[in-house]
Amino acid sequence: MDAGLLAQYIMNGLMLGMMYALVAVGFTLFFGVMDIINFSHGHVLMVGAFAGLATYFGLSEIGISWAPAQVMIMLTVATICMAALGMLIAKYLVLPLKAAPPLNTLLITLMLGTVLHEAIRLFYPKGANPQRFPPLLPTDAYTFGNFTLRIDSAMILLAGLGVIIGIHLLINKTKLGLAIRAVAQDEETAKTMGINFTLVVLITFAIGSGLAAFAGILHGFYYSEINFAMGLLLGVIGFSCAIVGGLGNIYGAIIGGFLFAALQTIGVLAMPFASAYKDVFAFGVIILIMAWRPTGLIREKISERV
Amino acid sequence: MSGTRDLLASLLPAVVGAVVVTVYLLLVLSVESQAGITVLLVAGAITIMAFVRFGSTARFGRSFAAQENTLNLLIILAVLVITGFFYEDHFVLLLVATVIIYVIACLGLNVQFGYTGVLNFAGAAFFGIGCYTAAVLTMHTPIPHVLILVIGGMMAAVIGSILILPVLRTRSHYSAVVTIAFALLFKIFLEVNDTLGGPQGLRVQGMNLLGWEFNNNIEIGENLEISFYVNYILIGLLLLAVTFTFVKRLERSWVGLNLDAVRLDETAAACFGLNISRWKITAFTIGNFLAGMAGALYAMMIGFIAPTNFTFGDSLILVSIVLLGGIGNPWGLVVATTILIVLPEKLQAIQEYRFLLFAAMVILILLFRPEGLLPRPLRTYLPGWRPK
Amino acid sequence: MKAIRIVFAAVLAVMVAFGLASTPVGAKEKVKVGFIGPLTGGTSSNGLGGRNSADLAVRLRNADPKAKYKYELIVLDDECKPNIGVQAATKLGANKDVIAAATHYCSAVAISTVDVYHKFGLPIIVWGAVLPDITYGNKYKEVHRVNGTMINQNETAAKFMTGLGYKTWAILHDTTDYGKGHNKYFSEYLIKNGGKILGTFGVTSDQQDFSAELTKIKSLNPDVLYFGGLTPIGVRVRAQMEKLGLKAQFEGTSGIVSDTFIEGTGELAEGVLAFREGAPTEKLPGGKLFLKQYNKQNYGEPPEAYGAFAFVAMNLILDTIEAEGPDRKKVRKALNKISGVDSIVGKIAFDDHGQNTIAVITKYVSQDGKWTVWEESEYASGKRKLRGM
Repeated sequence: MDAGLLAQYIMNGLMLGMMYALVAVGFTLFFGVMDIINFSHGHVLMVGAFAGLATYFGLSEIGISWAPAQVMIMLTVATICMAALGMLIAKYLVLPLKAAPPLNTLLITLMLGTVLHEAIRLFYPKGANPQRFPPLLPTDAYTFGNFTLRIDSAMILLAGLGVIIGIHLLINKTKLGLAIRAVAQDEETAKTMGINFTLVVLITFAIGSGLAAFAGILHGFYYSEINFAMGLLLGVIGFSCAIVGGLGNIYGAIIGGFLFAALQTIGVLAMPFASAYKDVFAFGVIILIMAWRPTGLIREKISERV
Repeated sequence: MSGTRDLLASLLPAVVGAVVVTVYLLLVLSVESQAGITVLLVAGAITIMAFVRFGSTARFGRSFAAQENTLNLLIILAVLVITGFFYEDHFVLLLVATVIIYVIACLGLNVQFGYTGVLNFAGAAFFGIGCYTAAVLTMHTPIPHVLILVIGGMMAAVIGSILILPVLRTRSHYSAVVTIAFALLFKIFLEVNDTLGGPQGLRVQGMNLLGWEFNNNIEIGENLEISFYVNYILIGLLLLAVTFTFVKRLERSWVGLNLDAVRLDETAAACFGLNISRWKITAFTIGNFLAGMAGALYAMMIGFIAPTNFTFGDSLILVSIVLLGGIGNPWGLVVATTILIVLPEKLQAIQEYRFLLFAAMVILILLFRPEGLLPRPLRTYLPGWRPK
Repeated sequence: MKAIRIVFAAVLAVMVAFGLASTPVGAKEKVKVGFIGPLTGGTSSNGLGGRNSADLAVRLRNADPKAKYKYELIVLDDECKPNIGVQAATKLGANKDVIAAATHYCSAVAISTVDVYHKFGLPIIVWGAVLPDITYGNKYKEVHRVNGTMINQNETAAKFMTGLGYKTWAILHDTTDYGKGHNKYFSEYLIKNGGKILGTFGVTSDQQDFSAELTKIKSLNPDVLYFGGLTPIGVRVRAQMEKLGLKAQFEGTSGIVSDTFIEGTGELAEGVLAFREGAPTEKLPGGKLFLKQYNKQNYGEPPEAYGAFAFVAMNLILDTIEAEGPDRKKVRKALNKISGVDSIVGKIAFDDHGQNTIAVITKYVSQDGKWTVWEESEYASGKRKLRGM
């Protein structure tokens, strides 16, 4: 296999890893702060992508047609909308069930995910069809032998990286980040220290959902298409990446995302006939990892109150 | 003499209730026009609200609980009456048969979640394992079909135990996630792989019991042709009766007691010497067996299965049924299954919206009434006993 | 207790009254006919076009004072999924009032439902599915088809493409019987015509990411990428081809001849080739008349490629019911005997397997956002060039 082809595969893997990592970070944030698994995250990503698409149509109506402005506005609007949605989810669905067994929260977020994707399928005009995402990013490409580097793919990759670095800075260098980490470590002590628990939870959900919207729009630009069912697989895979890295650990989630994409790409490379098995392979690995190290490659610290 | 009178008195509300419900179902199933259905549904809802308001439901409840055996017979009789009424109408009978089969599968899920607290998001996948087993075995081997039902259940049980074994030691949400991953993996694997038919699916032979071909209409004399679905209803009813009795007995037995202990507080149960993993696997296996068996029967009835029959959404519907009906209450299951299966078919307007509606209903139930429509009653050691 | 008894009795009375009142008294006897197609999902534009066309046929017939019966069209969605199709087929078949139906655009669904129609004895006419096995794979007298099969389509395609001078192909097809059928027939005819197949790849019909397959295909460097599948993944493959810099000519089948494909790919659709049996609707013998009537009804969606066939199928059903009465067996027998009947797509004749022969294969090229007949396009005249030419 020549270098160009290998480079192409690596590029494919990186893009995939980026999407997974962004979703995984969301899951990890939610788990860290509230000890819950929020299965509507993948579907929030999808709704974010649709929100971006709707914004694009709105902008076209108004007459704004300068691509960079459109991209910026789409990203901003979608992120803000999903952040709001995330806060609503936290306030009305997750916080009330704090005292209930964690399975109930899992259930309710799963059902919410179903509501979200059915709502889009039924109420968005022609929602059941795949929707074309506008090609707003520059499409020049540089070819080196077998390897084609498109500017838009590179931009998406860089944007994703930027966001991840941004999250890292937010969590580690700001007061808000400190509050989030405190709540994640020990809720009661954090409350004693004067941190407003509810506010922190709401903000964490907002951040996580905003991230999802961003990832959704990047996904749309990369594949030039979004459809109402894209959230399910992304959500489950993203969640498993978070588990692989250890729930509650942001770096673990990011590593998990890239690791997972690498596994999928290598799997496809090794079994040339089996590209369709990529997802089967992925889920098989998830089950195996859960069996071997359920708490993730980087250990989760749990202590249960008796 | 007064003993008989007391007996009759306590029996009467149950009988009346059963008759009313049967008549109502007959009406709902026979009315075709959308307006008619809507009126019926509204009327039904008003009646039920009126009953609750006037306290009659408590009366019915006590009567049901007191005379459970008679009640079971009554219900079977009711189903037979409905079947007889619609003897030629394929579609209604198909609905009835589907409800019966789904109840069996959901009873399995109920054992897993309602009694033991093990969430299983791959209910449709285990159902599917039963279906595919039936497909492969009916088309390629001469194994008697009744045995295939059992084998279908066993395949589902075995695969389920292999799946759940490793994750039992960990916290409950990990095993739930494993089932989610399995549910997704099942459908994708079948689609991608051609050995089990791939996306085109598989044909399944109809059931053949001792030479009686289930897929042929029953012809009595010259003019009377009974729909072939009646065959499946009868066998489904038989299986349902056995399953229902089994589940009820299980609940009341020491096994059920252990399962409940595991669900309510694992740490305390472990302190009392219960082997948590063992009980969880037992429950999971029993539940999957029932789901697989139901699946095998369903495949033979429908005659064709494809991977898209068993998506994650279908698993979620099974979970919704268990939650809506009342976790741990088999009667609630029957009610919930009937509503969730018959309603979208009859009320065309909500056909499209059914996933959305069911998910929304479950969210509401989880927020406001987590016990479900018919909450599970207190454990009774003697039938009909009620605290004074 | 009294109050509740009164409430109960009143409610019961209302229910019974409504139950009785639901059967209205009408002048003409009502007859139900069915239509099944993909009304939702990626292929919905074809399904909706077919539904509207069948609906048009029913409406025109109901407006005709000479018609003996009043027809009601029962429309069901098969979502282009085999098991949903089987459910819909079971619903129609099990409903004794439905006499006949026009069914299916997706081949994967049609091949699964033939058994159901046979089981219930419901005569059907397929209006859009092209897999040969649907009619030729069984001896069911209930199954008929008005549109052609993929055999002729692929034969013409192979001859045409090799004639243009292309030498090497990579084949990408979906793993349903539809895609596999296309792969089988096209490969057969291509090899006969001297083309070389560098690689064949099967993908699932809802696959999202094709970068693995397309990267491999890129390394094989074929002249043409033949795509045997439907519009939803056709759109994705075309888009991802560009992303990876795969410069082969894109050749599709009747599965991508739809407005949805062009909408989905935008400028990338330019220069895409596809083939379909039957002439374009305007060029059909009765095409202009059909389109005029269709547009009068103001449907929200265009008839698309197979609308005319759905119209013909429904008309055949209605004509037969008028002649034989609302009886499934009689209608089935009459349909089996149809030979030399005129319709807007030409003369219809069902052979011993219920298959109609459509002689004309149209070659399409996508030009300026529309599917244009090859002979009339600027590509044929040389003003524009296909890839690799």
